Amino acid sequence: MIPAIGLLLGIAAGLMLDVQVPLTLQPYLPIAVVAALDAVFGGVRAVMDGVFDDKVFVISFISNVLIAAFIVFLGDQLGVGAQLSTAVIVVLGIRIFTNVANIRRHLFHA
Amino acid sequence: MPDHAHGKFVPPSPRGGPRRLWKAFTARPDGGQVVVAGLIAALGFGAVVQVRADESDQLAQARRSELVQILSDLNQRNSRLEDEVAELQAARRELQSGAQTEEAALEQTATRARQLAILAGTAPASGPGVVVTIADPSERVQARHVMGVVQELRVAGAEAIQLEGGNDNVVRIGVDSYFLDPDGVLTVDGVPITRPYVLTVIGDPSALNASVLFLGGSKEIQDESLVEEHEDLLVDAVREPERPEYARPAPDDN
Repeated sequence: MIPAIGLLLGIAAGLMLDVQVPLTLQPYLPIAVVAALDAVFGGVRAVMDGVFDDKVFVISFISNVLIAAFIVFLGDQLGVGAQLSTAVIVVLGIRIFTNVANIRRHLFHA
Repeated sequence: MPDHAHGKFVPPSPRGGPRRLWKAFTARPDGGQVVVAGLIAALGFGAVVQVRADESDQLAQARRSELVQILSDLNQRNSRLEDEVAELQAARRELQSGAQTEEAALEQTATRARQLAILAGTAPASGPGVVVTIADPSERVQARHVMGVVQELRVAGAEAIQLEGGNDNVVRIGVDSYFLDPDGVLTVDGVPITRPYVLTVIGDPSALNASVLFLGGSKEIQDESLVEEHEDLLVDAVREPERPEYARPAPDDN
C-alpha cells in the first residue's frame, strides 16, 4: 500500500514541480529509470513468489541504478556511450520481460 | 534468499502469487515499506521528469556523438538541397534564355514578314516618296510607257507603287503586275485605268524624281509627267496574296 502511494506521490511531484534535469545527469537519468523499473518488476515478482525482502529490494534497486549509470558514464568516457547505453537498455529490457512473464504466470496461470 | 530481480527463469511457485501480492498490499505498514515507497516515489519522479524533459527538448538530451551525427546529417541534407537548388536554378535560366531566344526569333520573323508584305504589296505602306501625275490629254502615253516609268522607279529604289486612274480604279503594282492597252485603255492586272494616271511611289524622293524626269523614261513620259516630292505618303491599295501554283520553296540544303 505504502509503495503504491509512494509511486503516486512521486508522479504527482514530478508533474507539479517544474524540475529541470541537470545537464551532467541528462545522459544517465533514462538509464537509471529503466534500471529502477527492472528492480520494481523484480520486486513485484518476488512478492508473488513469496521471497520478497525489503533489504534485498533496496539494495538491488540502488545498485541497479548506480551500476547502470556507471556503465553509461564509463561508456561516455570511452567514447562508446551511445552503444553502451543501448546495450544496458537491451539487457534491462530482457530482464523486465522475464519478470513480467513470471508475474503473468502468477496472475493468469499461463 | 535469491536476488528477486535476477533474470533467470524460475518456474512458478505454488499457487498463491496474487494472494501474496494482495496480502503484501494490505499488510500493516512498517519501516521497510516506507523505504521501498521512497525508492519507488523516486522512480516515479525520475520517470516523469525524464518524460517531460524529453518532450521539451530532444537536442538537449543528446550526447556529443549524437549531436555530431545529427549535425553531419543536417549538413549532408543541406548540401543535397543546395545541389537541388542549383540544378533548378540552372534549369530556370535555361528555360528563360530559351524563351527569350524564341521571342526574339518570333519578333524577327514578324518584322521580316511585315517588310516582305510591303515589298509584295500585300500590306499598306507609308513613307517619303513622290507622286507622279501623268495628265496626258493628247493620249500619247501607252502601256509600255507606263511600264517603262514603273521600271525606272524600281531602278531608283521604289519600294511601294500604286497606280490610280481618272476612273478611281487603284492598283498596287506588284512583282507580277502587267500592263496592257488592248483597246487604247490602259489595263493593269486586268483593271482598266483611265487618264490621268497618278503614281504614288514610296522611296528616296530625289532619286525617284530624277529617275522619272531626267535619267530614264521615254520622251512621252517626260513631257506629260508632273512629279511632286512628299515627306509622307500613303500607299493603301493592297494586293491579294497568291499561292504559287507550281513553284515550291527549294530545299535549303544543297
